[in-house]
Amino acid sequence: MSNSVISVISRFLEEYTTKTSNKLKVVDAYLFYILLTGALQFLYCLLVGTFPFNSFLAGFISCVGAFILGVCLRIQINPDNKGDFLSISQERAFADFLLAHTVLHLVVINFIG
Amino acid sequence: MIYLYIIGVDMAQPRVFCLVLLTVALGAQALTPSHHLSLSDVERLKGLLSQPFTDLASAYYSIVGLSKLGAAVADENDACQFLKAQLDPMSVDSLFFAAEASQAIADCEMPVSNETRDILLAAVSEDSTVTQIFRAVSALSSLGLPLASQEVVAALVARIAKEDNVLAITTALQTATRLSQQAELGGILEEIEDLAARLDDLGGVYLQFEEGLEATALFVTAAYTLSDHADTEPPLKEDQVIQLVNSVFSKKSWDSRSEAFSVACAAAALSSNRFHVPVIVSTQGPATVSHSQPILHLLVTDILSNPLASANLLVESAQAVASKSVVLSQAPFSLRDGIFELNFMASQPASGYYQFTVAVTGDSRLVANQVELKVKVSTEVAVTNMDLSVVDKDQSIGTKTSRVDYPFKAKGSFTADSHQNFAMNFQLVDANTGVELTPHQTFVRFHNQKTGQEVVFVAEPDSKNLYKFELDTAERKSEFDSMSGTYVLHLIVGDATLENPILWNVADVVLKFLDEEAPAAIQSKTLYMPKPDIQHLFREPEKKPPTVVSNTFTALVLSPFLLLLILWFKLGANISNFSLSPSSVLFHVGHACMLGLMYVYWTHLNMFQTLKYLAIIGSLTFLAGNRMLAQKAVKRLASK
Repeated sequence: MSNSVISVISRFLEEYTTKTSNKLKVVDAYLFYILLTGALQFLYCLLVGTFPFNSFLAGFISCVGAFILGVCLRIQINPDNKGDFLSISQERAFADFLLAHTVLHLVVINFIG
Repeated sequence: MIYLYIIGVDMAQPRVFCLVLLTVALGAQALTPSHHLSLSDVERLKGLLSQPFTDLASAYYSIVGLSKLGAAVADENDACQFLKAQLDPMSVDSLFFAAEASQAIADCEMPVSNETRDILLAAVSEDSTVTQIFRAVSALSSLGLPLASQEVVAALVARIAKEDNVLAITTALQTATRLSQQAELGGILEEIEDLAARLDDLGGVYLQFEEGLEATALFVTAAYTLSDHADTEPPLKEDQVIQLVNSVFSKKSWDSRSEAFSVACAAAALSSNRFHVPVIVSTQGPATVSHSQPILHLLVTDILSNPLASANLLVESAQAVASKSVVLSQAPFSLRDGIFELNFMASQPASGYYQFTVAVTGDSRLVANQVELKVKVSTEVAVTNMDLSVVDKDQSIGTKTSRVDYPFKAKGSFTADSHQNFAMNFQLVDANTGVELTPHQTFVRFHNQKTGQEVVFVAEPDSKNLYKFELDTAERKSEFDSMSGTYVLHLIVGDATLENPILWNVADVVLKFLDEEAPAAIQSKTLYMPKPDIQHLFREPEKKPPTVVSNTFTALVLSPFLLLLILWFKLGANISNFSLSPSSVLFHVGHACMLGLMYVYWTHLNMFQTLKYLAIIGSLTFLAGNRMLAQKAVKRLASK
C-alpha cells in the first residue's frame, strides 16, 4: 500500500519536472510561496491568539485570494487548456490577474486596520 | 348619598367646577345642594358690594345688590346726592342706573322732565338692543312714568328673534317683569324653558351657561322674578333647581361688582319666590353624639343662611351603617332658639356610624327637603382583664400570669428567651354599656430605649372578641435585629368612634435572642449616609502578546518571500525580455504607484480618497498596460 503511494508520488514528481514548462513552474513557485505565507499566518493565530482578529482575517484572506487568482492565471496560461480558453489570450489572462489583485488589495488594506 | 357641608366652614376657594370635589352618587334620592352662602359668605358678598363706588354703574350694583341682601349702603344721603350729581339726563343707561338705585334708597327722588320721558320712550323700539329696551323700561317704571306694555312686548319679541344669545334673552325676561300683568307675556314665558335647555350639565351636579356664572345667576333671577310676576310656576325640575344653586353659589370670591350683584339677586330670588325655595340642612359642628353630648343639633336655612320661618324637621329613619338595623323611625326634632334638637342617645345606639334620612316639612315650596346625613356615635373604651404571661414553648413549666390594671404598669419585668413565648390577653369594652368593642387600631409596641428600635405588632380578636397577642422570640428575632435587651411595652388602641384613644405603658419585657449581632443598630443609621464612590473603569485594552513573539512571527511570515526568490532564481526566471518602451515603463511605474497607494491608504487615507487616486493612477496604468501587453502579444505571435 505505502509502496504504491511512494511510487505514485515519485512518478508525479518526475512528470512534473520534465513535462511542465518553465513559465508554469514560475507561477507554481509563486503559488507555493503564497501557500506558505498563509499557513504561517494561520499557525500564528492558533498559537498566540486571534488578537487583532481583523488583521488576521485580512492577511489570511489576502493569501487565500492571491492563491486562487494565481491558480486561475495558471489554468488560463497553460497551453494544454487552450481549447477551453479560446477567447482569452495569455496577456488577457495576466491583465485580469492584475485587475482582480487590485480589487483584492483594496479590500484587504481596508480590512487590515 | 350626599354628605352635607358643615355651617361655618369658610368656603373661600376659587371657583372650581371640577368633579373631583364631589364623589357624588346620584341614587334614587334627589339631589341636595352642595353649595350655599354661609353667613360668612354673605358678609363677604356684602363687603364687596359696600366698596366705595366711582360711577353710576357701580353705584347701582352696590345699592341695589345690598338691598337684595337686606342691607343698606353706609351713607344713604351721600349715595343719593352722588346719584343726582352723576345723572346724565340724556343717556338711557345713566337714567336706568340712577332710577333703579334711587328706588332702593328711601326718600330719594330723581328729577324727571318731559325730555327724559321722551328719550326713554324713544328707546323702546325694535331698533334698540334688548339691553336698551330693558333699561328704558326699568327707568320708566322706577320713575313712575307710563309705558305701553304691549308695544314693549312686540319690540322684545322682535329683538329676541334677532339677538338669539343667552344674555339678551335673560334681559328680555327681566324686562317682562316690569310690564303690566295684563300684557301678553306668554311668549316670553316660554323663553324660560328654551333657555333652560341651553344650560350645560356638568356631571349631574352643576348646571350653568357656558357664558359663565353671571349669566347663570341673572337667568335664575329673571326666571323666578318673571314667574312670580306672571304667577306661573317656572318649568324647572327640582334637580335642575338644585344644580343651578350649586353652580351659582360654588364661587365664594367674586371678580367684579357686577358678578357679586348677580349672585346677590339670584340668592334673593331663590330664597323668597313663590314656587321653589331650596332648603339647606346642616349640622352645627361635627355630626357626633356621645354620652357627654347626647343631642344632635341641626340648622334648617335657606340658601342665604336665614333660618326658615315655618319648617318642621323629622327623622324618617336612622340606620346603623354596620349592621343595617333601623334604630329610629319617624321621630320629630324639637325646635329651640332656631336650632332643631334630637336626643339620639335616648335610643341607646351602639357606637358607630348611622345614616340619617331627615325630611323638612311645613312649606310646599321647599325643594330638596329630604336629606341624607351621617351621624357618628362615639363612646369611650376600657381595657379589662389584661393578663401578661410568659409561656414555655414545650409547656413543661407552668405559665406565670400577672394581671395588670389600666392605667398602671406591671410591677416586675417579664423575661422571655428563645424557649419561651410572651403572651398578652385582654378585652376591650365600651365604658358606658359594657358591650365588647373591636376598634380599628389595636397595636402592641416594643421600644428598646437603648438602641431606639421600635417594633409594632397587631393584636387580633378571636371569635369571642377576646384580644390575644403572642410573641415568639425565636420566630420574630429578625424584626428585632436579634438585639437582646429591655423593651418597653405599650398598648395602643384607637378608632374614629372612640373619644379616649389609649396609649398605655403596660410593662417592661426583657427579650433574649441567640446569636446576637453587635452593632446592628448602627445599620439603620448608615442607611442614609453617602455610599462609597464608584470609580469608572474604562475598558481594558486586550492583552497583547509580547513583542518578541510578534517580531519572530513577522520574520517567519516574510521568510517565504526569500524562498520564492531562490526558487525563481533556480528556475531561471529573468527580466531579460524587458523592453524599455514608454508604455511598459509607464505601466510598471503606474503599477508601483498603485501598490504605493495601497500603503498610503493603510496609513493615511480613507476609502473615498483612495478610490479617487486609484481611478486616476489605475486608468493610466490600464492604458499603458494594455498597450504593453498588446505589443507583447504581437511579438509572441510573430515569433511563433
